[in-house]
Amino acid sequence: MRLALWWLGRAVSAAATLLGVSILIFAAVRMMPGGFAETILGPFATADQKAELADRYGLDQSVFVQYGHWLAAVARGDFGVSMISREPVVSELWARLPVTGQLTLFSVLIATLVGVPLGVLTAVRARRAAVGRLLSGLGVSVPEFVLGSLVVFLFSRYALGLPAGGYDNVRSLVLPSLVLSFFAISITARTTRDAVMGVLVEPYVTAAVARGESPWFIIRHHVLRNAAIPVVTLLATITAYLLGGALIVEYVFNLPGIGSYVVQAVGRRDYAVVQAGVLLAATVFIVLNLLVDLVVGLIDPRLGVTSKGRRA
Amino acid sequence: MRHRLLAVPLAAAVLVTSACSAQETSTTGGSTAKAGYVATVDDSLPAGGTLDVELPIDIGAATGLDPQLADVASSWQLMSLVYETLVTVGPDFAVQPALAASWENPSPTKYVFRLRDDVFFSNGRAMTADDVVGSLQRLLASQSVWRGQLGPVKSVTKVDDKTVDVELTTAYTPFLAALANVPAAVLPMKEINEKSVDVTKTMLGTGPFKVDSHRQDVSWAFGKNDKYWSDGEPRLDGVNVTIATEEAARVASLQSGKASVATLGNVDSKSMLAGASGVEVLSQATTDFYYLMLNTQVSGSKFADPRVRKAINIALDREQISSVALGGQGKPTGVTPTGLPGACDPAGLPSATAGAEEAKKLLAEAGATNLTFTLSIFSTAPAPAVAQVIQQNLEQVGITVKIEQMDEASWAGKVYGAVPATFDAALSWFAGYADAGMVTKWWNPDVAVFNKGFMKSDPALSSAIDKAVVLPAGDARTAALAEVCTKVDEDAQMLPLVTRPSTVAYRTDAASVGLYATEGYGNALRLIADFRKKSA
Amino acid sequence: MKDWLTRAGMVCLGLIVLVALASVVNLAGDPDEIVGPRLAPPGPGYWLGTDNLGRSMLPRIMEGIATTLLLSSVAVLVTAALSAVLGIVAGYRGGVVNELIMRLVEVLYSFPAIVLAILVAAVFGPGQLAALASIVLVTIPLMTRLVRAAAVGVAQRDYVTAAIISGARLPRILGRHLLPNVAGTIAVQVTYALSVGIAVEGGLSFLGFGVQPPQASLGVLIQQGTTYMTAAPWMITGPGVVFVVAVLAINVVGDGLRDRFEPRQARSLV
Repeated sequence: MRLALWWLGRAVSAAATLLGVSILIFAAVRMMPGGFAETILGPFATADQKAELADRYGLDQSVFVQYGHWLAAVARGDFGVSMISREPVVSELWARLPVTGQLTLFSVLIATLVGVPLGVLTAVRARRAAVGRLLSGLGVSVPEFVLGSLVVFLFSRYALGLPAGGYDNVRSLVLPSLVLSFFAISITARTTRDAVMGVLVEPYVTAAVARGESPWFIIRHHVLRNAAIPVVTLLATITAYLLGGALIVEYVFNLPGIGSYVVQAVGRRDYAVVQAGVLLAATVFIVLNLLVDLVVGLIDPRLGVTSKGRRA
Repeated sequence: MRHRLLAVPLAAAVLVTSACSAQETSTTGGSTAKAGYVATVDDSLPAGGTLDVELPIDIGAATGLDPQLADVASSWQLMSLVYETLVTVGPDFAVQPALAASWENPSPTKYVFRLRDDVFFSNGRAMTADDVVGSLQRLLASQSVWRGQLGPVKSVTKVDDKTVDVELTTAYTPFLAALANVPAAVLPMKEINEKSVDVTKTMLGTGPFKVDSHRQDVSWAFGKNDKYWSDGEPRLDGVNVTIATEEAARVASLQSGKASVATLGNVDSKSMLAGASGVEVLSQATTDFYYLMLNTQVSGSKFADPRVRKAINIALDREQISSVALGGQGKPTGVTPTGLPGACDPAGLPSATAGAEEAKKLLAEAGATNLTFTLSIFSTAPAPAVAQVIQQNLEQVGITVKIEQMDEASWAGKVYGAVPATFDAALSWFAGYADAGMVTKWWNPDVAVFNKGFMKSDPALSSAIDKAVVLPAGDARTAALAEVCTKVDEDAQMLPLVTRPSTVAYRTDAASVGLYATEGYGNALRLIADFRKKSA
Repeated sequence: MKDWLTRAGMVCLGLIVLVALASVVNLAGDPDEIVGPRLAPPGPGYWLGTDNLGRSMLPRIMEGIATTLLLSSVAVLVTAALSAVLGIVAGYRGGVVNELIMRLVEVLYSFPAIVLAILVAAVFGPGQLAALASIVLVTIPLMTRLVRAAAVGVAQRDYVTAAIISGARLPRILGRHLLPNVAGTIAVQVTYALSVGIAVEGGLSFLGFGVQPPQASLGVLIQQGTTYMTAAPWMITGPGVVFVVAVLAINVVGDGLRDRFEPRQARSLV
């Protein structure tokens, strides 16, 4: 029951955040150069179209009413029409979703499969901490566009067997995913390391050491389960980060994903596309975080009984 | 609204090809190309196959795919696969027959076009004189900037099924050259009038290829137009175009063989691809040129005093702009593009013969000794490089330039968006077209309109321009054009700088391509109907 | 013993700051001046080679360090100030104020960093201001959250209760009792935020929304360097190495600070 209440609380606060995001995006679009009508319809709109839009969004009414109209349109899935392709933005995003989705998914998988073991390893071998710190630091300090450009160049010039640019099938995503996950691996490893080290000082671990249990037994039975929560939480954050990083990787590898689409749209003032893309990214992040919270609630029932009913 | 004003200047900006003077590279794969060409197609290769081409930018205007409203060279290039004009330009800018098999010029103001017999739109319908007349009339009635280039057209009439008359109000020498560009293409007027085809959303023309599919900003698949009028053409069964914004992505595709042909923007492409086996880099000269805009119309303009503008013009080192910013490709130019017949010699212009001391003196006289201004540019290479060399040039005479770089959409908004315009100075390039008199028309803001916000018309200059476009080719016209050059140099509101190079690269094991030595309409794929595919 | 790495990181950072200071007085020459042939390899007169305009790489790299460091530092200081206020107030007051601040922070946190930065660039127009605002907005959520978490812990301590009972006024309680106790958290987060700031600047410059030419920043230099990777490898090497070393050093110092301010006594198991 408490757990259900906690979940409900999380869902309500996620909804509030989503509302806040929509306000921010609406405000940003209003602040961009060019009027709202021009933004939604493009520069060649006829007077009729403008009148229709003014009617639909109530452009003669207060900003709050306009926001309400806009929100209602978005809720119906009406994100407007791309100024350039003259197609509904939704269909363009839908066509590009698989590329960005797969790219992010693969990168999260790689980050988890490599980063978690790496983190555990550097935590239990704390005497070599410096090496771990340097390695994870290196992952953070090489920008994607440098690594990406390097990989694209090497794999295209020396025919190393994997496609480096363009999108034909899933194979085209191998290199981009690896490049994208490079940063995520080191963040995952670092978080895992911190989490594991946090658990290692718990009394029950000391007790287990005292009982003479083997180190790997301790890790498997005591540490990993308890260190899982921060790592699972991290995955949502990582996914959001990767969605952003995907933008640059898509650009470098010329992948027709949502990220490169949004960058181009900014350059051309195709605002309807910018709004929809940004809203999508934020929504994915919020929903993912909500899901993660639900999962964490299951792993760690303690969360259901904190004083305020939920975490901040 | 500002997008309508992007017009030709910015426009052109979007095409990111660039490169080198023709003489330097007149050989391809060991064999010498014909005069007027940088590369010629190997005729012994069999026809067939689909060619993979990568370009930096898709047709991206808010006007959609309507060729008459296309004002960007990169759009003209893609549209030329599908659309054709009555006449076309050959190597070295001779006008050649295209959809018109021949034409007569019975008086300076009258042209009679004999249409080719066996021309079909790719939907199978035969092209008629009505399509030709309808297309030109539609263009003249449109908002197209190309109306200004087409000249003083009085009437377009159908004489019979195969003959079309065009009458001009006055003589206009660039008429045929203007007719040779994509905005003057023959459209399927029957379908447009029936509303069965929306040319803003799809392309249907008489050209060698037809559109099989298009994903905006991602790719085009072009198939062969089976009823194309030119025997044996197109040689290819199809062309797949991939849009790759990042230069590095196009280079990668060339290296890996994913692309057979690509246009490149970096002026150093040749040395950068030197280590890649099987990739040949061609440098094409163009008549396009960079120019500097000095806004004289904003209140309190820093350039209202002609002496200040003259000093800036003198301080600009066009040789250095060419050698440093453009890697030695591109040449100094006056307002008549270097490379076109009848163009003036930029070395003889007043600004080229004066020195830095003269510039400093002029600035002192004008009381502008500590001049500081902002130069607005778009971020597409190599414009930032050109701007930075300009900045260095002007520092020599004590002028401080602050560069403000933005994407093309914002740049166009700033430069063309307001009357009077709010910027100090701006940099862009014009496509140079195919006749030395054409681009000079933009120096009369009353004709060009898009630059009214930052430039005032000079009656003496305007009449010199009008005089030069009326005169038939010959010594008198060359002298008149030289006069225009000098007047533009003195007026110095829009300062011509250097021509813009263009680079095309291809895989020698996958394609055989043809390329003119000099191009006027930014079309690197002009000869694509004759391109061949090689199988490795 | 284990802190040699932190010390090494501090030395690196110190050197980088020195270089940045040296560039302010153009110690190695004017970064914008065209001094030699284009794309020339390292040689006398241009010890780190020249770029695609024939400008010496050495002063350009120095200017790039100064620009990037200054931009990120100013942005991160703004973040620190805002986060300190927001985090402490939210942590101390709780209730509706906390709810409002945390929701706001959550909203910002929902945007992927580079997406937020692009949105900011679209509103402000490309340039230093957009880069600065982007870095602030990207780094503020995490720092505010952590400051708040620390402040919640401190707010329940006895000395704070004692101060409240003794009638101390709110600003005094926040300034005298809470701020010093969350300063460690802020210091640690400032270092991490600094490395995020440098990364955001790089990303923005790569996409063309960052610092404007001819001013050099590490992001701009690296972006240009990648285009000339084959023809002029020295264009990417210098800025690339500095970038990696700077971010690495900042992270290492951050780790060291964290171990000091937020000790979580870990020991070796194996």
